[in-house]
Amino acid sequence: MQKVLLSVENISKTFPGVKALDGISFKVVEGEVHGLVGENGAGKSTLIKILAGVEQPDEGGRIVLEGKAVKFTSALDSAKAGISVIYQDFSLFPNLSVAENIAIKDQIEKKKSVVNWRLIYSMARRTIEKLGVEIDLDEQVGKLSVAKQQLVAIARALAHNAKLIIMDEPTSALSKNEVEALFKVIRSLKEEGIAVLFVSHKLEELFEITDRMTILRDGKYMGTYKKEELDEERLISLMVGRKIDIIRKEKKEFNEVVLEVKNLTKRGNFKDITFKLHKGEILGITGLVGAGRTEVAQAIFGIEPADSGEIYVEGRKVEIKSSEDAVKLGIAYVPENRQTQGLITRESIKNNIVITVLKRLVGRMLINPKKKDEIAIDWIKKLNIKPPYPDMLVQNLSGGNQQRVVIAKWLATNSKILIIDEPTNGIDVGAKSEIHNLLKELASKGMAILMISSELPEVLSLSDRILVMRKGRIVAEFEPDNVTQEMIMNAALLGNNSERINYTK
Amino acid sequence: MIRMKTIWKSKEMSMFLILIIISLIITLKNPVFLSVENILDMLKSNVVLGIMAMGMLVVIISGGIDVSVGAMIAAITVIVGNFLVHISNNILLSFLVGGFAGIIMGGINGLLVSMLEIPPIVVTLGTMSIINGIMLYYTNGNWINDIPNNFINFGTKTPLGIPIQIYFFFGAAILTWFILKYTLFGRGVYAIGGNLLSAQRIGYNVKRIKLLVYTLMGFLTGIAAVVHTSIMKQVDPNAFTGFELQVIGAVVLGGANVAGGMGSVWGTIVGVLLMAVINNGLILMHIPTFWQRFIIGLIIVLAVSFDVIQRKRSEKQFVRVDVE
Repeated sequence: MQKVLLSVENISKTFPGVKALDGISFKVVEGEVHGLVGENGAGKSTLIKILAGVEQPDEGGRIVLEGKAVKFTSALDSAKAGISVIYQDFSLFPNLSVAENIAIKDQIEKKKSVVNWRLIYSMARRTIEKLGVEIDLDEQVGKLSVAKQQLVAIARALAHNAKLIIMDEPTSALSKNEVEALFKVIRSLKEEGIAVLFVSHKLEELFEITDRMTILRDGKYMGTYKKEELDEERLISLMVGRKIDIIRKEKKEFNEVVLEVKNLTKRGNFKDITFKLHKGEILGITGLVGAGRTEVAQAIFGIEPADSGEIYVEGRKVEIKSSEDAVKLGIAYVPENRQTQGLITRESIKNNIVITVLKRLVGRMLINPKKKDEIAIDWIKKLNIKPPYPDMLVQNLSGGNQQRVVIAKWLATNSKILIIDEPTNGIDVGAKSEIHNLLKELASKGMAILMISSELPEVLSLSDRILVMRKGRIVAEFEPDNVTQEMIMNAALLGNNSERINYTK
Repeated sequence: MIRMKTIWKSKEMSMFLILIIISLIITLKNPVFLSVENILDMLKSNVVLGIMAMGMLVVIISGGIDVSVGAMIAAITVIVGNFLVHISNNILLSFLVGGFAGIIMGGINGLLVSMLEIPPIVVTLGTMSIINGIMLYYTNGNWINDIPNNFINFGTKTPLGIPIQIYFFFGAAILTWFILKYTLFGRGVYAIGGNLLSAQRIGYNVKRIKLLVYTLMGFLTGIAAVVHTSIMKQVDPNAFTGFELQVIGAVVLGGANVAGGMGSVWGTIVGVLLMAVINNGLILMHIPTFWQRFIIGLIIVLAVSFDVIQRKRSEKQFVRVDVE
């Protein structure tokens, strides 16, 4: 039996009006990778904050680290005790060197007034070697790739004798190869006897890397299981308390082509992209992150127009040079990062929805508030945005409802073609299926939808046809009733670039 | 520990090249420009700008701004002038009084910025107006002319043939360089300018760093005030109207990023020299003074645009996908 490193005993946390955590108890042993799983709002973030010393738990519970009860009143306390959190933003200094990012904390802890650069460099070098990766110590962190920045964050934790490293959604911005590299690093941390608390939405990754998993649901503890005791279905049912099946779509016939793309090419981004999108069809585009999918979408929407190739909307050849052109042609685009690209989060639901149709709201000179309310309320109803208050600020909505607001905003333009990039990224499992239903409903009303998604179950259950991209090209086309996740993954990883495999009949 | 490659590519380097080119053009038009005498003279008349630019560099790296420095130096020259005339003609004491007055004023800015978390532009706009109001009430705009002789003598000293004021500029530069590079406070300044939240998480005392940043700015302004008095041999309470813009301009010309996190002492020296050369050179070339401001403004806009364009280009390279 391995030694218990961290023991969380009966931890609760009450915010005004909400019990975010309710009597959580579990143990993390030395050198294990421990998954922390739950929907958004299940209490994972609150638990991380408590372990990081940012939030204090309610009276009654305790945290025991290496046999000693500990009380953290600040982030420094928990770091000193050996708990290190790698936040999604990594908490790095983009303007400073790799070495300083890794080792300056040591100088702060020693309360040096004059810093010792030699020590900083030797400490950083040792840590990087221990991780077995290659990073230039002098490079400015802001100039590194996301994956390398993450390694710097891990190196910093390792340099400060972290015994438990908490990784919050560590793979969300990584490509498949980078995820593999990260897992290698995690395994080497394990060998050093360091425990990793791996917080993630992605089930496949949890099954690949963790030894055990603790599941939270609505702030309550649902149990800790060895990986072998679980399968995806059981894990999901523990997380959400209900079963979600992948129901594939039946094959349908479409004949009215709404959007046609021929040999679309943009140097350094994608090449020879050709496909047709029909009225009422959901066309899924999948592939690895970095395969050029988003770039294709942005080219069609005119944000970064292609170098060559042709685009036809309803049979007419069109030139799309800006997003304005695209909107006029009835194309709507919901970007992946809706917080920064799609929404003004400090504004009301109402103002976010009507922003695309302001021209229509203008009377003689001023915006007609009555018309504005009508449109907003109409879309809140149609898309079932909750809570249905037009004046509520978007930042106070859940991820799923924020996504609805973005979609509403674009549908308000009366668009015929909806391009949606990672529609359920960062949305919890429950809200996910609602977004899925919404997309299906829109398609059934005649909307042509181009959906970019990395999540194979999502692609399989929603798409009428599936395109797979790899390294800037479409390498395969499938219909959902005769394809498996493995076939898609195969194409995405190994697909031949010179010829497009067509599995459709 | 910066490699040659990054030095050559840096914004500081491009500003340095611009400095050389402008100097060459001016020399071709008027060879007096390159004479030792003119160079020393030019440096001497810009040391006040230089000393304060060092303080402003630290403020700007921390992600802040201080627009009260013009009012501050005006007020401190009045305080120091009165001290020299009415209380004591001791030179060392005058520096102590100037430095102390600066520390108090800068400290008030720092307290408001760090403890109450009011945006620095608002705080320093406020203190600027308050200081200006008090000064106008107190001085009525009158000059102080009877500065003691020993102080005036001190101001004309030239150890090793170099005007004594220039030593203060290089002293301030070396002090600032050491603080930024080798003290934990200095690294903290870069850290909070680069990522405030991370600086907090990693254990920097952010409030104390901010307090110190504005206090240091005040202290250097105080020293600059005494140095200024030693050059001008009189005090004009209105001499520094709008001077904060020149100070900020010199730092920005020197490659510092107004968004915080970036900037260097050697860049700021280049920025100050560029200001000095343009001001001096245009006079030597008999070009009307209003063109000075125009050209300085133009160079700032061009330098910053060039920087932004370069960054955008490198970002584009970053998102390239391998197409086979």
